[in-house]
Amino acid sequence: MQGSGISVLFMGKNLLRLLGGLWVTLRISLIAVLLSIPLGLLFGMLMTLKSPVSRIVSRVYLEFIRIMPQLVLLFIAYFGVTRAFGWNLSGDTSAIIVFTLWGTAEMGDLVRSALISIPKHQYDSAMALGMSRVQTFGYVVVPQTMRRLIPLTINLTTRMIKTTSLVVLIGMTEVLKVGKQIIDANRFDYPTAALWVYGVIFLLYFLACFPISMLARKLEKRWR
Amino acid sequence: MKLKNLFIKLITLTVASLLLITGIAGCGNAKTGSSGTASYRTIDEIKQSGKIVIGVFSDKAPFGYVDENGKYQGYDIYFAERIAKDLGVEVEYVSTDPASRVEYVATGKVDIILANFTVTEERAKQVDFALPYMKVMLGVVSPDNALITDVEQLNAKNLIVVKGTTAETYFEKNYPDVSLQKYDEYADAYNALLDGRGDAFSTDNTEVLAWALSNTGFTVGIDALGNADTIAPAVQKGNTTLLDWLNDEIEALGEENFFHADYAATLDSVYGKAANPDNLVVEGGKVE
Amino acid sequence: MEDKILLEISGLVKRFGSETVLNGIDLSVHKGEVVVVLGPSGCGKSTLLRCMNGLEPPTDGTVLLDGKAVTADGKKITELRQKIGMVFQSYDLFPHKSIMDNITLAPIKVQKRPKREVEQDAQRLLKRVGLWEKRKAYPRELSGGQKQRAAIIRALCMNPELMLFDEVTAALDPEMVKEVLDVILELAESGMTMVIVTHEMQFARAVADRIIFLDNGKIVENSKPDEFFTNPKSQRAKDFLKTFSFEKRKNS
Repeated sequence: MQGSGISVLFMGKNLLRLLGGLWVTLRISLIAVLLSIPLGLLFGMLMTLKSPVSRIVSRVYLEFIRIMPQLVLLFIAYFGVTRAFGWNLSGDTSAIIVFTLWGTAEMGDLVRSALISIPKHQYDSAMALGMSRVQTFGYVVVPQTMRRLIPLTINLTTRMIKTTSLVVLIGMTEVLKVGKQIIDANRFDYPTAALWVYGVIFLLYFLACFPISMLARKLEKRWR
Repeated sequence: MKLKNLFIKLITLTVASLLLITGIAGCGNAKTGSSGTASYRTIDEIKQSGKIVIGVFSDKAPFGYVDENGKYQGYDIYFAERIAKDLGVEVEYVSTDPASRVEYVATGKVDIILANFTVTEERAKQVDFALPYMKVMLGVVSPDNALITDVEQLNAKNLIVVKGTTAETYFEKNYPDVSLQKYDEYADAYNALLDGRGDAFSTDNTEVLAWALSNTGFTVGIDALGNADTIAPAVQKGNTTLLDWLNDEIEALGEENFFHADYAATLDSVYGKAANPDNLVVEGGKVE
Repeated sequence: MEDKILLEISGLVKRFGSETVLNGIDLSVHKGEVVVVLGPSGCGKSTLLRCMNGLEPPTDGTVLLDGKAVTADGKKITELRQKIGMVFQSYDLFPHKSIMDNITLAPIKVQKRPKREVEQDAQRLLKRVGLWEKRKAYPRELSGGQKQRAAIIRALCMNPELMLFDEVTAALDPEMVKEVLDVILELAESGMTMVIVTHEMQFARAVADRIIFLDNGKIVENSKPDEFFTNPKSQRAKDFLKTFSFEKRKNS
């Protein structure tokens, strides 16, 4: 009784379940990105400060987050925190915390590189025009930084969306897991379902990421 | 082991302090336990809360899977539903993976693990097993055109295993010459076998038997490898009230041949004549 | 040129770490005067200019504009800087703003002058240097010479009392140098007080009321241009000028 794999997609609530799974991914990514942007801006500025303390602290933070695989961080936040301190964080909370920590580090580094890529002469000429520090940042440095940051931030967002599929390992049923569940539940009757399910997941990821890239391109064009 | 724990604590402390620095800790719905270690819920606490949390597989038909309506189904689920019913509580399923099952129960994220959990000595150090409700041996499935019928044939071949399963430890211990290809999830492992990344796949015989039945071109060349392992529910170490209740429950269910009924409802349609229920089902926790 | 002293520098010392860049500079610039600072590279010319509007805080000594210390911190210095226009060697226009916005940004946001008035000023200035057609263009669409002219106008639109030019033609292609220097010459004729650092000797001679020759962080000569170019007093200045005349002979 082996049927065509495509029919699997339309059985019961399967399509809805896939969309629900996508939402799990998107919700975590978007919340994490929204938290990461302001925190990353602060963190990036902290990284450009001349104080050795803030430099060392931010460097250690960045390297720590970079070196640790996100999976390990997820396990620490989800299981490790419970083991060590008895705080029982939900999968949702753990994921948002980990991806915000990661996003803040990455965003901070992007902000830092965007900030130092603004030539010193831009600061000089702004100040020579009588601008205060705040005005120099507000009218000259930040707008230029933003422009440089937008494509990078979008890139980070799409990376975030793809990386959040890891949350499956702390028990969250995101879109890939739903896909696997559907494939598994039908593996006796519809062995070819995998192709269709993964095809749909690919399409869903594309539909989620494409508008974000489009928005970025539009913003970039407008500000060119 | 001590050092590893210290390491985990150190890292966790760092992460936790980072959380505080960035000020996110406040917005999570963190629930602080009374003691410093993860605590389990006693049978009374579970009854009082009106809900039992059971860790199951969500992509391992026919033992634990999710149907097209998003409902959990399978041999393990059939048992889990009965547990909830006899306790008079609701059941909440948590989807687990082979590698993280121990961690779920050890941290109290679930009350019981009921996810095709094979009893091993190593695991018994970390969790408390109740009486078994099933038994399995290992099986090896391979393509018909390069069928593996003897373990010796596996030397210098790629054998697919899923991380954290009995098969992984069995082959590592007894056949170190077999090169293992490890995957996190069953679906990935089967895909690897289907597209030829590995020469054979080994896991519980029940699993490979069922799979080979519906995948033409693949046969279980070895259907009973290693010792007969038993499958049992697991609870957190020291959770004696829940463990005792489970053992009483399993013994009582044996009287009514509950697990044969479970087999008929969930496994029979899959195995058909390929397996004899008496070779898989354990009633009343007694293995002959 | 009037008798009034606009900028007065006394005992100015500037050190970067252990390196002394300026070593006791005394200099006064009168209102309407054009002072050209010459000297071998690395002699501290740029640093001197940057000290004049407080971009570099002096290690010792004072810089007074109209009797007020340029070295003061905070709000005071931004007010003082509005009276001092500065143009740099590298094109320092804001890349994210059009030419018009580059020019009007500071007068509107810093000086809080009405937008209409500022735009009228900008229009007059842009027409004066032949850049009115480029008002909507972005800096990257302009040639180097056009960018420097726009940068001069941007500084002028603040109605400064003093203009500082820091080797403004050094990064330009030779054919664009003159269009920029002409603008500065015209400014000199209109009576603007200016301090100019340059390597263009002919221009220096034409524009300057006074030549300051700087070497090793000290003022070695302070004289009229004709006097400096025909009969320099110090050996250093003679050697310095020789390098130019040698080049000139070879080129002609």
